[in-house]
Amino acid sequence: MTRTVTLTANDGSQVQYVDTGAPMQGGMKDVYFSPDKTYVVAFFRDKFKPAEYTAQKDRLTTITNTYRERIFNQAGGDYWKDLFCWPTKVVEYNGLIGVVAPVYQSKFFFKYGYNPAGAAIASIVGKEKEGKWFAAAQFRNHNFKLHLDDRELGDWFKFILVCIRIARAVRRMHAAGLAHSDLSYKNVLVDPVSGSASIIDIDGLVVPGKFPPDVIGTPDFIAPEVMATKHLPKEDPARKLPSISTDRHALAVMVYMYLLYRHPLRGGKVNDLDAERDEVLSMGEKALFIEHPTDTSNRPRLDQVKPTHLPWADVNKLPYTLCGPHLKALFDKAFINGLHHPAERPTADDWESALLKTVDSLQPCQNPQCAQKWFVFDNSTQPVCPFCGTRYKGQLPILNFYWARKPGAYVPENHRLMVYHNQYLYQWHVNRNITPNERLTDAQKKPVGYFVQHQGNWVLVNQAMPDLKDVTADAAIPIGQMVVLKDNQQLLLSKDEGGHLVIVQLVAN
Amino acid sequence: MRRLPVYLLLDTSGSMRGERIEAVKNGLEVLVSRLRQDPYALESVWISIITFDREVKQLLPLTALEALQLPEIVTPESGPTNLGAALNILAQRLDMEVSKSTAERKGDWRPLLFVMTDGKPSDLADYRAAIPLIRRKGLASIVACAAGAEAKDEYLKELTDNVVHLDTADSTTLLSFFKWVSDTIGVGNQSVGATDNLVLPPPPEEVHVVI
Repeated sequence: MTRTVTLTANDGSQVQYVDTGAPMQGGMKDVYFSPDKTYVVAFFRDKFKPAEYTAQKDRLTTITNTYRERIFNQAGGDYWKDLFCWPTKVVEYNGLIGVVAPVYQSKFFFKYGYNPAGAAIASIVGKEKEGKWFAAAQFRNHNFKLHLDDRELGDWFKFILVCIRIARAVRRMHAAGLAHSDLSYKNVLVDPVSGSASIIDIDGLVVPGKFPPDVIGTPDFIAPEVMATKHLPKEDPARKLPSISTDRHALAVMVYMYLLYRHPLRGGKVNDLDAERDEVLSMGEKALFIEHPTDTSNRPRLDQVKPTHLPWADVNKLPYTLCGPHLKALFDKAFINGLHHPAERPTADDWESALLKTVDSLQPCQNPQCAQKWFVFDNSTQPVCPFCGTRYKGQLPILNFYWARKPGAYVPENHRLMVYHNQYLYQWHVNRNITPNERLTDAQKKPVGYFVQHQGNWVLVNQAMPDLKDVTADAAIPIGQMVVLKDNQQLLLSKDEGGHLVIVQLVAN
Repeated sequence: MRRLPVYLLLDTSGSMRGERIEAVKNGLEVLVSRLRQDPYALESVWISIITFDREVKQLLPLTALEALQLPEIVTPESGPTNLGAALNILAQRLDMEVSKSTAERKGDWRPLLFVMTDGKPSDLADYRAAIPLIRRKGLASIVACAAGAEAKDEYLKELTDNVVHLDTADSTTLLSFFKWVSDTIGVGNQSVGATDNLVLPPPPEEVHVVI
């Protein structure tokens, strides 16, 4: 029954796959492995009508050629191989059309799956780590029989990294003029253990004006204006279809769900007694942020939520503000101002930079049992981990960044770095013109200094900052030397254009 | 979070004895284990199993997917296929087990019903009387499966437009039916088409949807 099929792809190369008679089945495609398991061949299950076939072939060819090259065949293009599972070739066989795509990396398959007791009744070992597993509270609640093994869950820092990767990938697509159109945790693989994410199912790509969308999205991620007009015919000018601005809604929902494990619009408000109509209204025309500051009518009702969704369903205990000021501002834009005004939604670029700033505000929780292990410094003098309630004890250094708009006149950067033991300082902390993203050179990825607690003091050890200077003491700190951090101390990290001056704050507890 | 109640009405009359009922049991195990690998199903699906022969029994009250244990299913030596009585019990269970929305509280999703039989209703008058009762319950969808050559589609078509006919009721075919049921339960989580709303996924090749 098993046979190996050899085909010639549209680029003239030879493609092989093993047909066992039982392909893996996706929503629309049957998927076969190549003999060496380095790539897959995925055929659309349905035979298209001739006109549709031509359109699909045109679309898939453009996605595998023009658009792929637009993203991958550029400086830093290799970086995207980890963030997208981008189809590479188009194949045709027996009237069916399909694509060739790389296999997912092994980190995107469950190694442990369910907790040991749960694994005795069901197993997901070897299954793909579809994002949904990590966006739902119950799979991390030990009272839920089939919760995931703790070793699969990563920590809160890793989820920030996951969100950065997703935001970056979406930013890149949008920069190329492409809309994903069905961005959801179904089409994003996530590995919280390493903090990785990869966007899959790219063959649905929408190009404004060229290829219209053929799906309106996945429930939970469909933008309100798309939901509210889905009853209209596709040709109706009032009908809203997926686009870059609806991708932005989906991205905001995803970030919210990966950090808070609840849906930003699924609260207690009943908009219709019929479940389906209520769904359409609650996700569409009447969509309302569950944490809206003034309209509290959609707050989750704790007497109605599933106990296994706690504590995450409790917005009073774990409000979205715990994500820090940079993300809070974007959630406000996405779910308050921009929920029904697509033009006001934050861009993927906004998310990426807010998430990067948030990384610098993270502080390790001092409670070794804390499940999240990291939290955002809340700008108070007595920081408390919002997840486990542990109060931070000890001296806490914070670096506030300033930059010179004109020579000698330093203004605040709205960016601070929480210092913790063994934390590194990087080029992007030293100079505002360097951003941690795919364009970093290998040299720029190397740390330039690190912080340690040393003989009761917090010190910064200079590894690679030729200009480092303690301005307050008027003393240069050469490479290989260290400086003890003091409250109100001014440190110049670089004399270059865009170089940062920091003012140290030492919070005593 | 709304629940998605799924009711399975299974024929356990004498003709199901042997390979067929073993195939149904196997199918149920596969159904549950597939759904337990689906994070969407685990968030919402609750399952109830009602069997009917001479007697109607709710072997499994509506139970959360992660918590349920499949009940022992037995078939009598022979006897009638009281599908009408089963629908009446189902109507009662729907009233008791499915929560309705109020202005203050979101209720459950509209339930799904799967009926499987290898014959025809023995209590035809009761069956026909029960159909309008079930229709009024506002189920999201009713799928009836006529398994094997002796199963009669025409009676099932009085209950629902979605009648699936299995030419043979052997273990492979029944298994593919149960796999299809698990896909159907999961369909609400798939991407929503831009042109129309797909209600059912395409059936497996061995199954014929009778329109």
